[in-house]
Amino acid sequence: MGVPLIKTFFLASRDYLHEWQMSFCFVIALAAVLGPMMVLFGLKFGIVGAMVDQLIEDPRNREIRPVSSGRYDQGWLENVRTRPDVSFLVPRTRSIAATIELASESSSRNVRVELIPSADGDPLLPPGELPEGVTRIVLSELTAKKLQVEAGDTVDGSIARQFRNQKERIHLPLTVTAVAPAQAFSRDGAFVSVTLLDALEDFRDGRAVPRMGWAGDYASSVRTYPSFRLYARSIYDVAGLADAFADLGVDVHTHAADIERVQRMNRNLTAIYWAIAVIGLFGFSVSMGANLWANVDRKRKELSVLRLVGFRTLDIAWFPMVQALYTAVLGWALAVGLYQVVAWIINEMMASQLEAGQRVCRLLPQHYEIALALTCGAAVISAGLAGLRSARIEPSESLRDL
Amino acid sequence: MNNNSASIQRSTKTLVYHLRDVVKTREAEGVAFRLRVPSLQIAMGEKIALTGESGCGKSTMLDMLAFILRPSATGAFRFRPLGDQEPLDVDAYWKAGKINQLGDLRKRYLGYVIQTGGLLPYLTVRDNMNLCRKVLGLKRDGTVEHLAAELGIASHLNKLPGALSTGERQRVAIGRALAHKPSIVIADEPTASLDPYAAQKIMSHFIGLVDELNITVILASHAWRYMKKLGLRQLHHRTMRHADTNLTETIVRG
Repeated sequence: MGVPLIKTFFLASRDYLHEWQMSFCFVIALAAVLGPMMVLFGLKFGIVGAMVDQLIEDPRNREIRPVSSGRYDQGWLENVRTRPDVSFLVPRTRSIAATIELASESSSRNVRVELIPSADGDPLLPPGELPEGVTRIVLSELTAKKLQVEAGDTVDGSIARQFRNQKERIHLPLTVTAVAPAQAFSRDGAFVSVTLLDALEDFRDGRAVPRMGWAGDYASSVRTYPSFRLYARSIYDVAGLADAFADLGVDVHTHAADIERVQRMNRNLTAIYWAIAVIGLFGFSVSMGANLWANVDRKRKELSVLRLVGFRTLDIAWFPMVQALYTAVLGWALAVGLYQVVAWIINEMMASQLEAGQRVCRLLPQHYEIALALTCGAAVISAGLAGLRSARIEPSESLRDL
Repeated sequence: MNNNSASIQRSTKTLVYHLRDVVKTREAEGVAFRLRVPSLQIAMGEKIALTGESGCGKSTMLDMLAFILRPSATGAFRFRPLGDQEPLDVDAYWKAGKINQLGDLRKRYLGYVIQTGGLLPYLTVRDNMNLCRKVLGLKRDGTVEHLAAELGIASHLNKLPGALSTGERQRVAIGRALAHKPSIVIADEPTASLDPYAAQKIMSHFIGLVDELNITVILASHAWRYMKKLGLRQLHHRTMRHADTNLTETIVRG
């Protein structure tokens, strides 16, 4: 036959409200610890997050390039392509053969460009603008500018060879399907299908390319490629893939060092942050515990009165619990407000140095929830100790103090 | 009424309290204090006064009767709040550590008026007076308002205790002890902090109310003359100081 919890809750609330000045001090004391901690974490999360985003968003960080040329046949390449940690793989033809001279009607200049093998899913190109077949091409921004063409225009591609002591030149009409963004390829270049590259290489080597109507000495036999363009599924797969290639005897060049650097920085900052957070949380718990503990002394008489009118041990223990939770929730809310203001100021100050939508100081919704849960947890623990103490109050000793 | 007929009348009535050889010993800084109760019987509806100078053990006695102080030794300690029920063995509750059950008994059957009011500063006068009713889950039925009117504090019902005078607070404390219609009210010098005129006025109010509600009253006071005038029975007690052992002993009988 205990007192219903709602009544204890009501009384504890009334007491908390009645002593609003004291309660407000507790709330401020909590926000003073929690607020800066949230700003600190917001900065850590924002800065490291931006660096990681940059790493992830820039596909070049996922690129794995063989250091020297080899002989990779279709079967070998197919095996690598089907690995789950590989997101994109196309073979490269010999780089000497992989050039073409482009001309357009709108420009008098002829531009010699590198040809980059591409296919569906090329991480350097925006989706949906991919070169297919032997007539479609995606130009780098620089080349498009030089040729004064844009998507939809047609350019003339030509290559020459020495064949049976005669100089031959062929011309190909190529449709510009898109212009690749500047960061995809900064030099003169064009993304084309592997089919076209194969054909151009065969032409240069003097082999016949029947489908293009190009004559030659002999048809191509089993084809091998000296190199390939490969992108890992994510930056976190790069190191593993590099190891796998090392096992296959292929030396590769990766951005693993950059990735590792950011990851190490993230780990270090996280460790530092948690060290500060744990110290802060511990300090806060101790200070709140001390407050609640002293509160029990201060309210000894009032708690005795509750005992006198029949409140049970557990009913009394709820008293500091309810009040601590009030402090926790209100202090958290104040800290969130504090954080929002400070984060806004920091982001405004840094806005000129950031890309649009990027923020130096930011938190995810679940971070707020975690902060609330941790605060309430600390409050419940310290209130539990104070509650034990208040439950032990001897009414006969405390009733006559006041 | 002579003493003999009074005791016969008592023995035929239901005994609310029946104590035998109950002892409470306290020691502080080399000075010992002992309260001994060889025998105490309080019948239902009785009005008892415990008088004497401060420090003689009145509060100790009352606290034991309110189950908020555990006796050091007990021959027998029976409590029978309702006439049609078997007496309860309070000593057994203490021995079993059932302080929550003792709290339940207190909640249901006792009202306690503390010398200094003991009002909760964060509750209005109305909520303070309603506190015991509320923890018992009693509905609001105008009892609090009626009591407040009787005690002359009806106009203060919505104020906080901090806004009242000492005398008014004491009236609220009395109201709180009576509002849940307990069987027994224990009052520890309820008027000690008031001037004699106000004290008498409040005391007669109090006794008038408990008469009306037929409540057993156990009252500690240092003003016996006035208690007698209000028709209270005095508990006999004797205080002795043993100089050699630094022990002060009070023996209560009745």
